[in-house]
Amino acid sequence: MQTESARMSSAKEARFRIDAPNSLQRATKVIALDAPSEHVVKRLATRPWNGAAFFTATAFGAAPSRGASLRGWLSDLAGRTKSLVDEVNSADLVVMVATAGENVPAASLIGEACSLKRVTTTALIAGSAGKSDDVLAKTLSQLRPWALMLVIANSDDYIEDMLRALRA
Amino acid sequence: MLRKEQNDLLTQTGPGTPMGQLFRRYWLPALLAEELPENECPPVRVKLLSERLLAWRDTQGRLSLMDEFCAHRGVSLWFGRNEENGLRCPYHGWKYDHTGQCIEVPSEPEESGFCKKIKLKSYPLVERGGILWTYMGPPELKPPLPEWEFALVPEDRRFVSKRLQECNWLQALEGGIDSSHVSFLHSGELNKDPLFKGSKGNQYNLSDRKPVFEVVESPGGLYIGARRNAENGNYYWRITQWVMPCFTMIPPRADHPVHGHFWVPIDDENCWAWSFDYKVMRPLTHEEVQAMRDGQGIHVKYVPGTYRPLANKDNDYLMDRAAQKRGDTYSGVEGIAMQDASLQESMGPIVDRTKENLVSTDNGIIMMRHRLLRTLKAMEKGETPPGLDLAHQRVRSAAIVLPPDQPYKDAAREALMVQPGKAHVSV
Repeated sequence: MQTESARMSSAKEARFRIDAPNSLQRATKVIALDAPSEHVVKRLATRPWNGAAFFTATAFGAAPSRGASLRGWLSDLAGRTKSLVDEVNSADLVVMVATAGENVPAASLIGEACSLKRVTTTALIAGSAGKSDDVLAKTLSQLRPWALMLVIANSDDYIEDMLRALRA
Repeated sequence: MLRKEQNDLLTQTGPGTPMGQLFRRYWLPALLAEELPENECPPVRVKLLSERLLAWRDTQGRLSLMDEFCAHRGVSLWFGRNEENGLRCPYHGWKYDHTGQCIEVPSEPEESGFCKKIKLKSYPLVERGGILWTYMGPPELKPPLPEWEFALVPEDRRFVSKRLQECNWLQALEGGIDSSHVSFLHSGELNKDPLFKGSKGNQYNLSDRKPVFEVVESPGGLYIGARRNAENGNYYWRITQWVMPCFTMIPPRADHPVHGHFWVPIDDENCWAWSFDYKVMRPLTHEEVQAMRDGQGIHVKYVPGTYRPLANKDNDYLMDRAAQKRGDTYSGVEGIAMQDASLQESMGPIVDRTKENLVSTDNGIIMMRHRLLRTLKAMEKGETPPGLDLAHQRVRSAAIVLPPDQPYKDAAREALMVQPGKAHVSV
């Protein structure tokens, strides 16, 4: 006689798996940290998403002082000012998008806010193909302390696939 | 999450499918050399990429991998007589040489040359590193023989096994690059398994159970780095290699043999999990080889006379709830390989990825799928897929302590490449 494991792992039995939603919509906040990434994020934002919201932190400019960290501001893609704390508070996942070689001073602010609010962070460095390790290290060192998952992709076409895979 | 059409694209590897065409660009492990131990030995049925084949070795020792069925009436040539440089169908005596060329049709006049019009599809079969490798793609695109380091070291420095896994190849591969499950599923093995225990790296593993991951594209596939805190502000990195389409290499521990896998589709609902262990600078010890034969490390015990694991779905993987409760094993299944396989098979033959809920730590899996899909598109334009360049195969996994600010692909550059005459970098 077949064991339960044998029977239940068959293709025939797979047909009886419950076909009902098994998750609620996630709140994914995607934040561009530099000007080239802002172009990418703006392009992505025009597509349909499952609740993902897109922002830019490029207006932070020079690195803010640590004491000012939680008073940081984001911009949505229409240019409206948004409170970093409010956006992090309502996030399940914050994705920081950077470009290899760029300076990303906002990473520490956003990372600190996420750390305080126990929100998972993912950082993505795109456009690493052809960039030297020194150039890459400059961006990496600013992101590494603040990202629970860091991805270094050769091109920016990964971002969309990643967000889709994460049901963003 | 994948869309259904993406899931179908990545999981179907039969003839004519895009993923099947990708697999057919590489030399793939087909059999263990021990399966064809001598000239005129019994033929072996082989199914690869949804094609029914027969492997055999003729009177002169020439290896053959060809269509399993006689061109005459479709009889399986597994019943054939391996004699005088050919395999003869026992039904009506048609005889084939190692290339699949029919060389005798007894019912037809020899002078008619009829047999020259009959040829079975065949593929090259070459021995290297204890494995018989085949290439099932277009002959004009055949790459050079594979140069994976484990296959090139002297025989006494290597151990290779294979086991049947009863699910789609992608489920198995995804387990091979999913570093975050180790702290749970295999936590019982780190300090117990003779091929894992005793490394300083294990202490880092056990003292920091929340690793941080970095996924980096490599020329042939991916580096998947898991980072834990080490002394003096440094990081302990375990860097796994994935090379397209189905090679993975696990980071080493101390002076234990280094191990890895190939995940080769048999058909869309089964695959071969190939497992290798090797050392570059010394022979494997008797104790190490015995442990591997006994199913320790990444190897398994078999149902006698087969390559099916002894613990399999027909015996509920010998599930031991008491061991699970005691904490001897985390899942109740014994052994690293079957801990993985039992769960991957439980997903069903081909898991429905439209229903999954991936999280941030699954980025290795997401990136792997992304690269495969990107490669399939590039192949449509005639581009060469990654992993064929021999330089992409000359890679190593590594376990290494590094300063905090450096990209590991830079700081561990040498450790991640084959260094002739040097051991793996391990902690």
